[in-house]
Amino acid sequence: MRSFGALAVAAAAAVVLQTTLINTFQLGSAAPDLLLVLCVYLGLHQHTVGGAFAAFAVGYLQDSVSGSATGLNAFAMTLVFLLVYLTSSRLWVDNLLSRIAVVFFASVVKTLGVMLLVAIFLSVDGVWSTAARRLLVQALVAAAVAPPMFAVLSSSRRMRSADAN
Amino acid sequence: MSEFLRRNRVFLTSSALLFFSLVLISTSSRSPDRRDPLARFLLDALAPLQGGITLVRGTVGHVWDGYVWLVGVQQENRQLKERIGALEREAVQVAEMQQSHARLEKLLDLSESFAGRSYGARVIARDPLPWARTMTIDRGARDGIEKNMAVVSPQGVIGQISEVSWLAARVLLLTDHNSAIDALVQRTRARGIAQGALEEGCHIKYLRRAEDIALGDRVVTTGLDGIFPKGLMIGEAVEVARYSRDSLHGAVIRPSVELDRIEEVLVLAPGTRLVSEILESEGGE
Repeated sequence: MRSFGALAVAAAAAVVLQTTLINTFQLGSAAPDLLLVLCVYLGLHQHTVGGAFAAFAVGYLQDSVSGSATGLNAFAMTLVFLLVYLTSSRLWVDNLLSRIAVVFFASVVKTLGVMLLVAIFLSVDGVWSTAARRLLVQALVAAAVAPPMFAVLSSSRRMRSADAN
Repeated sequence: MSEFLRRNRVFLTSSALLFFSLVLISTSSRSPDRRDPLARFLLDALAPLQGGITLVRGTVGHVWDGYVWLVGVQQENRQLKERIGALEREAVQVAEMQQSHARLEKLLDLSESFAGRSYGARVIARDPLPWARTMTIDRGARDGIEKNMAVVSPQGVIGQISEVSWLAARVLLLTDHNSAIDALVQRTRARGIAQGALEEGCHIKYLRRAEDIALGDRVVTTGLDGIFPKGLMIGEAVEVARYSRDSLHGAVIRPSVELDRIEEVLVLAPGTRLVSEILESEGGE
């Protein structure tokens, strides 16, 4: 229960930072996606039903503060969680480099997932050219913010474990 | 059976949530005006935090820029920008009036441009997604803000209110792919729709092939959509597109407002008009 409380605080902090400070550090049209890194962290460490619900909630939170259709990011984040969960339960994903690679691919999956849904449900022009232009740089930016985010989340987890003991 | 469910519970739960997300998307894309109360609650809950951080960032940035880094230069830059904005607005108004009622030229020095209720607001957050272009302002239903109100700056149109909570409101920028504004080319009076796009900028679409639009042409609001007063600057044409298959064409518009940098906006109540437009119509009667 405490770990989900900490996750809720982390998600709220991430979304506030992302909509205020992080937006000023855009690289081209890509901005660091802190909530995606949080979602990957969930996929790596929360192999529970609660983890799936938390990933959905993180996506829903992003939908709430964004102008996009409700459910777009909820879908993308749940998909990312599921894929990371399946990957980490079959492959060894325990060092920093492999985690950064997971974040990179998770960003690719998220961008493609959202663009696919936009193309299907919202019939917007230029979806795939936009996706092609942004895919790589968005994934690189997400991968770049992964190490400090993982460090903060891991230290918070260690502190909770120490308190519990 | 129960063993299967127990072993695959994470997979099954995630699949159910994916399906539920699709239902949510389908529902919200069919009725984009409807926003569930939980989303509105989250917008309200985060608004004070976002406002606080934006204020701190602005204060720290101001101290750094104004006193530590370039003393005096920032202030001069701001004054020059304000002057440029005032001159651009004045130029649009002059062109509008010359074309219709030259005798109203003497009224261009009016400092108050709008007749009607207006609300000043501060931008407290921007859209976290790179392909959606909205921003959050620190005024909501408590202050009298309503859905579909026009949002402008001295340089021109910014967008319109798309969602209102008690403490904050979301502005759909004119460059968002969901935005559509009734517009006309100032020089030729050709009418079209200024629509946002997934990429940067926006487009004026649905111009008849016979009607002319050229690079550098100014695009302004028509006032016919009941949201924006007539004659507000939207932007200027930077690329003209000819479509071969139909009888319509359009152009890429560079917005007159630097939407990424805007910090304060003016929200206009329904029915607000430019003073110049009111005088023009009174002069015609």
